[in-house]
Amino acid sequence: MRARYPDSDGLVVRDGVEIRYERYGRGWPAILLLPTWSIVHSRHWKMQVPYLARHFTVVCFDGRGSGGSGRPADASAYSDAAFASDALAVMDATGIDSAVLVSASCGGFWALRLCAEHPDRVLGSVFIAPTAPLVPPLAERRVQRFGEVFDNPVGWQLYNAHSWKTQYPEFVAFFVGRIFTEPHSTKQIEDAIGWALETDGETLTAADRGLECCNGAAVQRLAAQLACPVLVIHGTQDAVRSYAEGEALASCAGGVLVTLAGAGHFPHVRDPVQVNLLIKQFADRIRQ
Amino acid sequence: MRARLPDRADVVRRDGVRVAFEVFGQGEPALLLIPASPITHARSWKGIVPTLARRFTVITTDGRGTGRSDRPHAPERYAPAEVTADLLTVLDAADIGQAVLVAHCHAVPWALCLAADHPERVAGLVAIDPAVAVAPPHPHTVEPDRRWADQVDAPSGWAMRNRHFWRQDGGYREWIEFFFGQQLPEPHSTKQYEDTVGWALDTDAEAMIAEREGRAAPAGSEAEALCRRVRCPVRVLHGSDDRCQPVARGRRLAELTGGDLVVLEGAGHLPHGRDPVKVTRLITEFADRITGASMHATTWTRGPCRPARALYLSSPIGLGHARRDVAVAKELKRLRPELEIDWLAQHPVTTVLEAEGERIHPASQWLASESAHVASEAAGHDLHCFQALRRMDEILVANFMVFQEVVEEGRYDLVIGDEAWDVDYYWHENPELKRGQNVWLTDFVGYLPMPDGGEREAFLTTDYNAEMIEHIDRYPWIRDRAIFVGQDHDIVPDTFGGSLPAIRDWTTRHFSYSGYITGFTPPEPDEVAPLRSELGYRDDELVCVVAVGGSGVGQALIDKVAAAYPLAKKAVPELRMIVVTGPRIDPAAFPQRAGLELRGYVHRLYQHLCVCDLAIVQGGLTTTMELTAAKRPFLYFPLGHHFEQNFHVRHRLDRYGAGQYMDYATTDPDLIAAQITELAGKPVSYRDVETDGAARAAQLIAELI
Repeated sequence: MRARYPDSDGLVVRDGVEIRYERYGRGWPAILLLPTWSIVHSRHWKMQVPYLARHFTVVCFDGRGSGGSGRPADASAYSDAAFASDALAVMDATGIDSAVLVSASCGGFWALRLCAEHPDRVLGSVFIAPTAPLVPPLAERRVQRFGEVFDNPVGWQLYNAHSWKTQYPEFVAFFVGRIFTEPHSTKQIEDAIGWALETDGETLTAADRGLECCNGAAVQRLAAQLACPVLVIHGTQDAVRSYAEGEALASCAGGVLVTLAGAGHFPHVRDPVQVNLLIKQFADRIRQ
Repeated sequence: MRARLPDRADVVRRDGVRVAFEVFGQGEPALLLIPASPITHARSWKGIVPTLARRFTVITTDGRGTGRSDRPHAPERYAPAEVTADLLTVLDAADIGQAVLVAHCHAVPWALCLAADHPERVAGLVAIDPAVAVAPPHPHTVEPDRRWADQVDAPSGWAMRNRHFWRQDGGYREWIEFFFGQQLPEPHSTKQYEDTVGWALDTDAEAMIAEREGRAAPAGSEAEALCRRVRCPVRVLHGSDDRCQPVARGRRLAELTGGDLVVLEGAGHLPHGRDPVKVTRLITEFADRITGASMHATTWTRGPCRPARALYLSSPIGLGHARRDVAVAKELKRLRPELEIDWLAQHPVTTVLEAEGERIHPASQWLASESAHVASEAAGHDLHCFQALRRMDEILVANFMVFQEVVEEGRYDLVIGDEAWDVDYYWHENPELKRGQNVWLTDFVGYLPMPDGGEREAFLTTDYNAEMIEHIDRYPWIRDRAIFVGQDHDIVPDTFGGSLPAIRDWTTRHFSYSGYITGFTPPEPDEVAPLRSELGYRDDELVCVVAVGGSGVGQALIDKVAAAYPLAKKAVPELRMIVVTGPRIDPAAFPQRAGLELRGYVHRLYQHLCVCDLAIVQGGLTTTMELTAAKRPFLYFPLGHHFEQNFHVRHRLDRYGAGQYMDYATTDPDLIAAQITELAGKPVSYRDVETDGAARAAQLIAELI
């Protein structure tokens, strides 16, 4: 059973792709929980929704390629512009003029684009463990080659289009293990693996290719344009996106950095209380 | 002593009237605290100023008619336009463009006028128990106020608010004593009552009458219109038991100004005096909101990743507890090697901690000096320590606020407070602020009245004891462990006063006994000679150590003993006298006497005490018990009016059969010389002092983590 069910839900169709959204609670400002990479769907916000919805209007949606949303096969359907447009369409469908954005990992791309290109619709932006390739990637990811064919891929080599055709579950198990580096994370790992297996390797391959437009230069350009309040939350033990990325984004965007010492890549799942309080505090400041 | 002195104290002169103001600290926004003058003045904010001034610029004024301001006697000199003009002049003089106003009672209408007419000068308003006539007054004030100008025969209660009665001999005082009794309905408010009555008596009946008749505060629709003109953020604090201003007024003020209302349930009319912690936090939060104080970069460490941390507070009055607390900390680290211990401590305790390589929290620099306060309360060989503690109220709350910030930011698992009165008191008064496990250590329980304090002092000590007992009964979870440094028989046979229980019975129910903690193991008989030699004492001399502890009180005793020195030296030629003035008294302050040795702070003084042939000391527990443990003869002179030294310590020493009690007032140098001659180097037969107290206390603490 869920802790809280949506007050309303629905679908918007954009460019022929169905986007499933949920709306909870009421109160200003609205908080839009953005999707992240399509490997998981909007349930990764399950620890935030019930709390935030007691104070604010909360909207979330399944990113294209995940959950109850459509799964276009073409990589071009997964550009950051497409995700950003989905977010605007969901805001329109739920009657929200402007919102505080909360994103995790590569959801930060869509947030950056929304902030920079639609400042009138964004009141502030919280980036959790953002993908911000402004610094070199983690050392352990240097072996990663998405298009190459490995005989016996191990570790980050599993992050690979060929592996995903036959070894998608192995990749998921590995990847989710890197998301949750904190001891005693069995439930979080089981949840994330379950969500990841609701989509498939082909869809994720398309989604990943669509992301290729997101590079350091683009991030830097967009971040430097931000005018709204920015909060970056990043764990020091993040094994997917380095803590230095969060530092760099906060610095580039003129935002506040909250360091979560000992936390991994999904602190909103693993340390939900602290992250909830930070989001609430951030939204309260905006309310004032 | 004040917890914080102003950075600037000045007056403005406007239209021939001087109005005093003080400025504290710096930082945005500026806060202008406006008292309900002239019945009270700037000192009424003493519980909140030191803490606010660490973050903000704080300006206080006395208000015309009281304090260091002039006292015009014509009503028109107290018109709202005059008072608000004073306040603007003060802001100008303090070079403050815009301020958050914090106003109390009938100062709130002045603040509203400023906010409505000079919005560019007012960033926000905190109205405490506002006297704004937007709702009916308390019924009990209506008839007396109607008859304010009438001749009323022998009025009582609220009817004493009458111009003729105030002009009668003693009338004004009688009114004030009644009035503040009404305004402090909270039990155990004796100190706030004495303070507010005292401040009210700083003015006179004529100034009070003039202000009341010149006040001309708006009422009804006029007051509503004034409130509606206020555009700045407003916060209203109102005590639910305010007998001066009904809560309905605060509620309506908040509605009319779009502000928020915080009802302080159970509070009376003076919450900034009686609940300073809560009021300070509410003002701080409001001021932060006004500046839009944004979130700032922080680190939050996951709970499981944190090292275990303890914050140790050692009572800073003198050096008494430093040695034993270091001993307990060392034992605790032996039991829990992973435990990190920070010390929130002040001089002179820091002298010991630094020498021992302990880690002192940097926020310690913000602590107001308790030792300096105690020294300022002493006169000669006299220290009324109960009253000194009461008068330390603003220092205690200022230091508590420092502590609370430290404990919230540092996320300590454990707080160990060795007679940390501020923490114990304010956590019981504000239980929602408690963080971590809390250990309370003390070596005495119960305030006892000095006989010459009469009924009043007996009433006060009983009241303080009752408050402490009620605290423990109501919130047994605030002290996770209470440790009495000693054994049950060390506790005096007295009661807490009145119908309160016997101290020993109650303490046994609420405390664990660690036994005495000396902080060192006395030398074995065969170790004495080598240690003597190491410290530079010869076998053929009789070493007399004179020590007055670490508090800075002791000059008078040193003078008297120094005067006895030539007499004693004549009778005992092998006498060598070393006077240790301690860390807070400069040895250079004493005249040189041939043969008499003067030293300042001596690290590990206990070693000298352990090998001396006689010691002459005050009645402090630590030093006398060090001598008891080391089985040295000693004379001890309890400070006059020091209930702990005169009752608690003396009782304990009697139980050990230790020391020669001396009455300072009736002892002359001849008697001291005679005692030196009689006792120096003589064997003693004291009861043994346990040496495992620190280990036992540490074990009791370690069980919590």
